[in-house]
Amino acid sequence: MAFSRAALLAALASLALAAAALAAPVSYALDTSASVVGFETDFGPDRITGQMPVIRADLSLDFARAANSTVAVTLDAARAQASFPFAAQAMRGPKVLDTANHPQIAFQSTAVKAADDGAWVDGQVTIRGETRPMVLHATIWRKQGSQTDDLSHLVIRLTGAVNRSDFGATGWSDMVGDEVRLDILARIAQVP
Amino acid sequence: MVVWRNTADRFGRVSRALHWLMALAVIGMLALGARLVTMQPGLANLWLYGLHKSVGLTLLVLVVLRLAWHRISPPPPPIGGGLAGWLARGAHAALYLLLLALPLCGWVASSATGIDTVLFGRWVVPPIAPVSEALEKQWFALHHLLAKALAGLVVVHILAALQRAWAGDGTLRRMITGRATTADR
Repeated sequence: MAFSRAALLAALASLALAAAALAAPVSYALDTSASVVGFETDFGPDRITGQMPVIRADLSLDFARAANSTVAVTLDAARAQASFPFAAQAMRGPKVLDTANHPQIAFQSTAVKAADDGAWVDGQVTIRGETRPMVLHATIWRKQGSQTDDLSHLVIRLTGAVNRSDFGATGWSDMVGDEVRLDILARIAQVP
Repeated sequence: MVVWRNTADRFGRVSRALHWLMALAVIGMLALGARLVTMQPGLANLWLYGLHKSVGLTLLVLVVLRLAWHRISPPPPPIGGGLAGWLARGAHAALYLLLLALPLCGWVASSATGIDTVLFGRWVVPPIAPVSEALEKQWFALHHLLAKALAGLVVVHILAALQRAWAGDGTLRRMITGRATTADR
């Protein structure tokens, strides 16, 4: 992995200093091939894990004033994969994501608040055509070995959870947990 | 001499083999089905659902083969006439009907879930119903109902066979050895 733990922590601390160098929101592009939208939910005593491809991501980050930052992400639910084939079929089927009618999942931030260990991203997520509020916790790292003020390449980890029943995705509720936990690792590069 | 075909008063080897193979599979499937209904699913036991579907569809094929074989080589009629004979014919007809309907219901219900029915982890069986939660509930409910009816009928069938064996009429012996009595060996 390109980022050691110590280097990442050091880079995180230096982001605050680097922020002064950027006084306005900066657009970033997502490296979809190096980014992972992961999820997991309970399946009896076990867990179902999976991934979902990103169709597009528009990120505008303001390190001086986090509130000016915006995040918009669209996921390809129809190509979601799970840890075993039956789970992927069940998840994409009409009782859960219903991807035949709702092939995408969209997230649009409404507020970004700086926190000691990163930021809180409030937003609206649309699943199965239902839009509900959602909060993601963001942690941002600089690229290992880069200069303190070099924010051209960043790694963002977003974590959060949704209850699928809030979106009508109630299939197999006797077998599969309601809470779906998200763990998104996004590698982004500043748009020139 | 090995007798494969049925005669007017004997079961041939094909009919007897099909009978006992299916008896074993049906009793096993009823027990497995009852376990699946109460089981907490997890990765460790997920294969049991696949096994249930695989054996169920195999039983469907076997009952069709058995009925086809009966057309080619008709089985002997029940021993004894009157009410007992009439009841035996009715019970056998009901057993065949349930052996056809039960796996078909399961297949329809499984198809309606939208999840592939995979035979022995290898072959995907085509769906025979559209994906629909309403259909899934209705057909699984019917599947469970028919399973209870079949379980009841299997118990009656076994008790009747034992009762006939106790009475010494040769019905059970005929399904084991092919002949109703030892005298005509």
